[in-house]
Amino acid sequence: MSSLRELFPQIITEVGLKDDKLIMLVSDISHFRFKPFFEKRPKQYYNVGICENTIVNMSTGLAALGFHVVVHTFTSFLLERSFEQIKLGFGYQKLGGNIIGIGSGVDYSCHGATHHCYGDFALMKAVDNSEIVFPVTEVEFRELFQQTYNDGKLTFFRIPQYSHDFVFNPEDIKFGKGIIIKEGKDVTIIVCGQPLKSVLNSVKELEKLDISPEIIYLHTIKPLDIVMISRSLQKTKKCLVVEEHSMYGGIFDDVLRFTRDLENIKYSFINFGGTFIHEYGTYEQHHKRFGFSSEGIIDKVMALGK
Amino acid sequence: MKNIKNLRKEIAWMTYHSKEGHIPSAFSIIDIVAYLYEYVLKFDSKNPKWEDRDYFILSKGHGCAALYAVLKKHGFITQKDLEEKNTEFAKLATHPDRVKIPGVEASTGSLGTGIGMALGIALGLRILNKPSKVITLIGDGESNEGTIWETALLASNLKLGNLCVISDHNGSADKVLAVTNPEKKWDSFGWNVYSIDGHDSKQIKKTFDSINFKDDAKPNVIIAHTKKGKGIKAMEDNFGYWHSRVPTEEQLKEIYDELNKGEN
Repeated sequence: MSSLRELFPQIITEVGLKDDKLIMLVSDISHFRFKPFFEKRPKQYYNVGICENTIVNMSTGLAALGFHVVVHTFTSFLLERSFEQIKLGFGYQKLGGNIIGIGSGVDYSCHGATHHCYGDFALMKAVDNSEIVFPVTEVEFRELFQQTYNDGKLTFFRIPQYSHDFVFNPEDIKFGKGIIIKEGKDVTIIVCGQPLKSVLNSVKELEKLDISPEIIYLHTIKPLDIVMISRSLQKTKKCLVVEEHSMYGGIFDDVLRFTRDLENIKYSFINFGGTFIHEYGTYEQHHKRFGFSSEGIIDKVMALGK
Repeated sequence: MKNIKNLRKEIAWMTYHSKEGHIPSAFSIIDIVAYLYEYVLKFDSKNPKWEDRDYFILSKGHGCAALYAVLKKHGFITQKDLEEKNTEFAKLATHPDRVKIPGVEASTGSLGTGIGMALGIALGLRILNKPSKVITLIGDGESNEGTIWETALLASNLKLGNLCVISDHNGSADKVLAVTNPEKKWDSFGWNVYSIDGHDSKQIKKTFDSINFKDDAKPNVIIAHTKKGKGIKAMEDNFGYWHSRVPTEEQLKEIYDELNKGEN
């Protein structure tokens, strides 16, 4: 099955063919996948070259004229190198647009940390007027892109290389809303991205241990569905957040902050920690090392106790 | 142009009154900015978002006192707005905010960003098939920023002939990271280059009369050689000291006296 990394240009092309205000800018990446769009709508697509600061600056000019601009390249360069342009150009100037980043987390498992991004949620949450969306499958991206790309906010889409393989119905995907994949009573597991697969793989073993997990899947990181999360935690009293992100500033921090008034909740997390990753190997090897495997998830749930 | 000295007085006064500002940076560009709004730009101060307007972006945002003086002259903002500058809920501050000030197209202050936004607007106007032009003003100090040269490369590549950069070479960068021979640098990036005395209105007029803001052509850059603090000898001779200095009441009076005695 093709990954979302490979499929998303086709979805944007479909939207762009219907909306002549959609302007796609790429920084010399994904160019061939956008070829059908470029051939049909040459005025709506530009490969500007490798200049991330300027691709963001120029996109704010297009946004100021009312275009629905979509900017795309590696997350590490687009977000982290150009963060000031994003912060000021979109946030301070209250302009809307879309940033599509690939290579978050350790998707580029052998490239070294220059091509990782562990802090994208933390950075983008701090930008005024921003939204953060993390679709994993084609149906998630199709629904979430159409719901948000022209809403006047700056929407960051984290596009993963690897899928959780869970099949959603389009009507289940609502921007800003979490999805209860499985109801349970003993622990709330909040998860985003590919690790949903490991979480689901851990269910059978947990149930053998007489632990009934409730699984909340998040495709929207900001705004966080705190209502759903709070209700679940009030029921289970135990929380495990599984996110491919730094320990600083991710979903776990938000869950803690927003549920701080709930009583007697035990919290735990699985993430990338707080340092650069100097190891290589496969995506799965990175995940296993940080505890994203089903075994790692079971260990964390067990450590939360009864 | 006549009565530029009144605009210089306005700049000095608003800096004194609001207790913050960059007088020398504004003095070096006021002749050009005043000329643009008098003779070059299409706009409607009663309808600042008029769809067919031309666009001016002050990329060297700290020179905004010059822009404010001109916007007031043309009716975008009022004397009251100037009086309230830098107060808690004011429209105007030490750097301009497009969200708050009618007639301001970009919230600049971080050097190297306005020029990129200008490029985006120029491209957008092409897509919309509008004949409006985009003029952005940068500084030589600002030209230390990499984004200036990224934009220069890209605008030339895209043949954005509806974009004009005015580069205010007032010597700011000379003692730190000098941008020598800017004419040759911009020419090597594929721009039409004009080089003028940025305080000489005849040269400013001749240059703008000769620029054809035609899309799908080379973009244009005007290297404006200016003096930082132009009009006040103490500022021209020691602009580093005066860069963000607020004049005392006595110094303000001295500035007025010297401007009154000087040429336009």
